[in-house]
Amino acid sequence: MKIWKSLLIFSIVLILIVQAGCSSSKSSSGDGDSNGVVTLKFWDFHSEAEKKFFQDLVKEYNTSHKDQVKIEYTAFNQSDYTTTKLPVAFANEEGPDIFMVSPGDFTKYAQSGIMADLNSYFPEGAKEDFLPASLEAVTYQDKVLALPYELELLGLYYNKKMLADKGVEVPKTWDELQAAAKKLTTDKVAGLVLPTDKGPYLNFIWYPFLWQQGGNVLNEDGTKSTFTSPEVVKALDYWGSFFKDGSAPSKLQYGPWDASNIGTGSAAMTILGTWAVPVLENQFKDVEIGLAPIPTPAGGKAATDAGGWKMAVNSKSKNVKEAAKFIMWCFAEDSSRPLKWATEIKFAYSPRQSVIKEGEKIYGEGLRKVFTEEIYDSAIPEPRYGPEVVDAVGEAMQKVMFGKVKGEDAAKEADKKIEEALKKK
Amino acid sequence: MNFKRKETLTAYGFLLPNLLGLTVFVFVPMVYAFYVSLHDWNALSPKVFIGFDNYKKLAEDKDWWQSVYRTFIFTIIYVPLLVGSSLFFAVVMNNIKKKFEGLARTLFLLPFAITSVISAVIWMFLYDPRNGFINQLLDLLGIPTQQFLGSTSQAMIAIIIVILWINLGYNMMIFLAAIKEIPTDYYEAAQIDGATGWRAFWNITLPLLRPTTIFILIVTTIGSFQVFDQIMVMTKGGPANSTMVSVLYIYKQAFEFLNMGYASALAVVLFLIIFVLSLTQLRMYSDKD
Amino acid sequence: MTKNKRLLTIFTIACGILIVLPIFFLVISSFKAPEEVFKPNLNITKLTMENFEAVMEKNILRAIWNSLIVSTSVTVIALLFHSMSGYALSRLNFPGKNLVFGWMISTLMVPFTVIMIPLYMVTKNLGMANSYLGLIVPMIFNAYGIFLFRQFYKDFPKELEEAAYMEGLSIARTFFRIVLPLSKPMMIPLTIGFFTANWNNYLWPLIINQKEELWVVQVALANIVGGGYETSWSIVLAAALLCAVPTFIVFFSMQKYLVDGIKTSGIK
Repeated sequence: MKIWKSLLIFSIVLILIVQAGCSSSKSSSGDGDSNGVVTLKFWDFHSEAEKKFFQDLVKEYNTSHKDQVKIEYTAFNQSDYTTTKLPVAFANEEGPDIFMVSPGDFTKYAQSGIMADLNSYFPEGAKEDFLPASLEAVTYQDKVLALPYELELLGLYYNKKMLADKGVEVPKTWDELQAAAKKLTTDKVAGLVLPTDKGPYLNFIWYPFLWQQGGNVLNEDGTKSTFTSPEVVKALDYWGSFFKDGSAPSKLQYGPWDASNIGTGSAAMTILGTWAVPVLENQFKDVEIGLAPIPTPAGGKAATDAGGWKMAVNSKSKNVKEAAKFIMWCFAEDSSRPLKWATEIKFAYSPRQSVIKEGEKIYGEGLRKVFTEEIYDSAIPEPRYGPEVVDAVGEAMQKVMFGKVKGEDAAKEADKKIEEALKKK
Repeated sequence: MNFKRKETLTAYGFLLPNLLGLTVFVFVPMVYAFYVSLHDWNALSPKVFIGFDNYKKLAEDKDWWQSVYRTFIFTIIYVPLLVGSSLFFAVVMNNIKKKFEGLARTLFLLPFAITSVISAVIWMFLYDPRNGFINQLLDLLGIPTQQFLGSTSQAMIAIIIVILWINLGYNMMIFLAAIKEIPTDYYEAAQIDGATGWRAFWNITLPLLRPTTIFILIVTTIGSFQVFDQIMVMTKGGPANSTMVSVLYIYKQAFEFLNMGYASALAVVLFLIIFVLSLTQLRMYSDKD
Repeated sequence: MTKNKRLLTIFTIACGILIVLPIFFLVISSFKAPEEVFKPNLNITKLTMENFEAVMEKNILRAIWNSLIVSTSVTVIALLFHSMSGYALSRLNFPGKNLVFGWMISTLMVPFTVIMIPLYMVTKNLGMANSYLGLIVPMIFNAYGIFLFRQFYKDFPKELEEAAYMEGLSIARTFFRIVLPLSKPMMIPLTIGFFTANWNNYLWPLIINQKEELWVVQVALANIVGGGYETSWSIVLAAALLCAVPTFIVFFSMQKYLVDGIKTSGIK
C-alpha cells in the first residue's frame, strides 16, 4: 500500500516539476534585445526603505524609457551578495549589468577589469561637481570605474544620561575615552561598543585611530607596507585595550553597525556612522543620544572615515551604454535623487557639492549638525585595499583584541603578509 | 551462471540512477575543481595555467595547516561525543515507558529542524557574556561570567556543543531505528540463558548495531571535517582565528580573496585527508566483520 | 524493573526539556516586541503578534510553498533511488561492488563551497537554472542516503529473500514487493534527513535562482535578515519559527512509523 501511495505522490510531484520547469523556461528569455527593448539586470543588497528607493527609481526609469530599456531589479542579503552571489555569477559570465561595489571590493573588481569605464558617460559638468577625493577613490589607472553616491562619516555616539549620571564628560582625547569607557561599563552596559568580528567593517572603524597620528597602512603610492610604524603599533594597542579591560564586549548580539546597541541602552558609547541618525530619530527617540568627533590622541589631529557604496557597470554586459546611462541618471544628473537618498532615505553626505549645498538646511538638523560642523572636514575616504591586505590588518587587530599578543608583534606578522600581497599585484 | 548474470544486471540496474546522477552532479564538478586547482583564477578574468604551483604554495601555508589541525581537534572531540551520546540515548529511549517515547524522541529531534543560521543566532544569545541565559545561570551559581564565543579558549567548545545539540536527536533516531530492527526473539533467547540488561546490550545489541555504528562514525567524521555554516555565523573563524577550520579557510580563499585556483587545491588536499581517514576507519572496523 | 523504567523515563524527559529550552526561547522571542528581543526577561505580559504580521507582509508563504515542492520531491525520489542502490550494494553480489561503493562514498568528501561553481555551470548547461528542476535534481544524488540504506540492509533477514526466490520471484520483484514495504523504519531517518536538509538548504538555492518567485524559505529568511544597518531580529525570529513549522509537522507525522521491529511479523 505504501508503494502505491509513494508512487502517486511521485507522479504528482513529477507533473508539478515538469509543468513548473516548462513555464519557467518560457519566461527566462535571457537578456538580449527582443524587439529593440534592452533588458538590464540590476542586483542590489539593500533592504527596507533603501530597497524601495531603488525599486522606485527603476520603476520611474522603466516608465520614462518604456520602449527602449527595461531594468529588472533584485535585492539579496548583503553578506551573501558580496561573497557569494556576485562572484559566482561573474564566474559563470552571468553577472548583472548593474551592481553595487564597496571600497572593500573595489580593488579586486578593478584589477580583474569587470567594471566598465564610466568616464565618457558623465553629463556635462557633472564630473566637476563631485568631490575630488570621492572620484579618486573610484579611479583606477585613469579610468572611473564606479559612481559614488554616498559618504558615510563616523562619529562617537554617546548616551547623555549615562554620562551625566556617572559624572563623565564627553571625551575628547584618547585617554579620556579610555577612562570614560571603563567608568561607564557595568554588568549590563558596555562602556564602548566596537566591532568584534573580522571583516572590512572592523578595519573601517579602526582606521581613524591610525590616521589621527598621521600613520597609514601603506606608503604614499601604495607600494610598500608601513604597518610596522610606531603609529600602527600605538593604534593597535589602544584599540586592544578596550577589549582587554572589558569596556568593549567581546561578542555582540546586534551587528556592530546597528544603532540598537546604543538605542536599547546596552551601550554607553559607540563609534557609528551617519546612517545611525535616522534610526535613532525614528526608533529610539526617547533616548537622549549625543554625538561628538572621534577622540584624538595627544598631538594628533582629527580624522574620521568616510565609507559608502558605489554603483558600477559590468564591463562584460552587452549593454554597457544603457547601463551607464541609467547610473548617471540616478545620481549624476538631477540633484533631487541624490539629495533624497542622502537626506530622506538615510543620512549620509553626497559626494556632489551642489547636492550638499541644496540640502544645507537638513544638514544642520539635530545630530547632523555635529557631523556637518565638527566632523565633515576631517573625513578621509575608506581605503580600497585588496582583500589580503584587509585580512592581514584584521588579523593583527584580532590578535591584539583576543590573542593576548602585543601590538608590535601582531603588526610585524601582518606586515609580512601585506608585503606578500603587494608583491602579487 | 544465469543467476549470477541476472544478479549483476539487476544490481547495476538498481544502481544506475545514482551512478548517473552522482557522476553528473558531483563527480564532474569534482574533476573540474581539480582542473581549476592547476590554475590561477579569480572568477572574474580568464584562468592562467600554473601547474602544481598552488600545491607547492599550500605545503608551506602555515595558516592552512593550522586550520587542518584545528579541524582535527574539533573532530576528535566532537565525533566520539556525538556517537557515544546518540547511542546512549537510543538505548535509553528504547527502554522508557512507551507512552512517553514519542514525546521524548520528538523533543530530542526538534533542534534538527532549525536551520543553521537561526540556531546560531539562538545560541549566540544564550552565550552572550552580558545578557545571555547561560551566564545569568552561572551568576546564580556564583560562577564568574564566561566569554564563550568571545574567548579564544572557549569558542571551539561552545560551537561543538551547539553542533552536538543540533545533531544528537537525529543520530539517536538512526540508532533507535536500527535497535528496533533487532528481533525480540534474540533477547528472549538470551534471557533464558540468564543474560539481561548490560550483558544483553554488550553481547546482542552492540554487535548487531555494528553496521549502523560504522555508518554514523564515518558520516559524522566526514561531516565534522566539513563543518562550516554555524562557525561562519557565530564567529567567522574568530576570535583571533581560534575557530578557523579548514572549510572556512577554503571559503575565505575562494570568495573573499577570489583565489579560486588555490582554494580548489586546498579542497583537493582536504578531500584526500578525509578519504584516507575514512578508509582507515572502514578498514579498522570492517576487519572484525 | 518498573522503578528503573520510571526513573529512566523521567531522566529522558528532563533531558528532552533541556534540549528544547533554546527553541522555547525562539518561540517566546518571536512574540516579543522588537526592543525586548534580546533581553533575557520572560515578560509574558508584553507579548505581541506584530512580528508575525510583519512577516506575512513579506510574502513568505510563496517561499514556504516552493520549499515544500522541492523538499518533498527530493525526498520521495531519493527514497526510491537510494533504497535501490543501498540494497544492491549490501545484498547482491556483483563485480566491482566495492569499487562502486567506495566511489560513491568519496563523493561525500568534497565541501560544497568548492563544487558550487562548477555545479552551477553543469546545471546551467543542462538548462535547469532558474527553475524547480535546478533546485531538485542536483540535490537528489547524495551518497549519504545510499550509505544509510546499505548499512540497514546488512542486517536484513536472509530468510525472506530466500523464501521469495524459492517461489520464483525475480530479484527486482523481491525487492519491490517484499523488502521495500518492510523497510519502513529505515525510511524514517532518511525522510527526515533529506527533507530537513533540503528545507534548510541555503547556499545552492541562493546561487542557482534569480527570480523572487522561486525563492525558497531560507533565501527569503536571509533577505529578511537583510544584513543591512538594522536587522529587526524579532521579525527574523518570527519568520524563522514560521519557516520551521513544516519541518516540525514532518517530524511529528513520521514518529508513528518508527515502530518496533518488522522481523517477527515479517517472517511469520
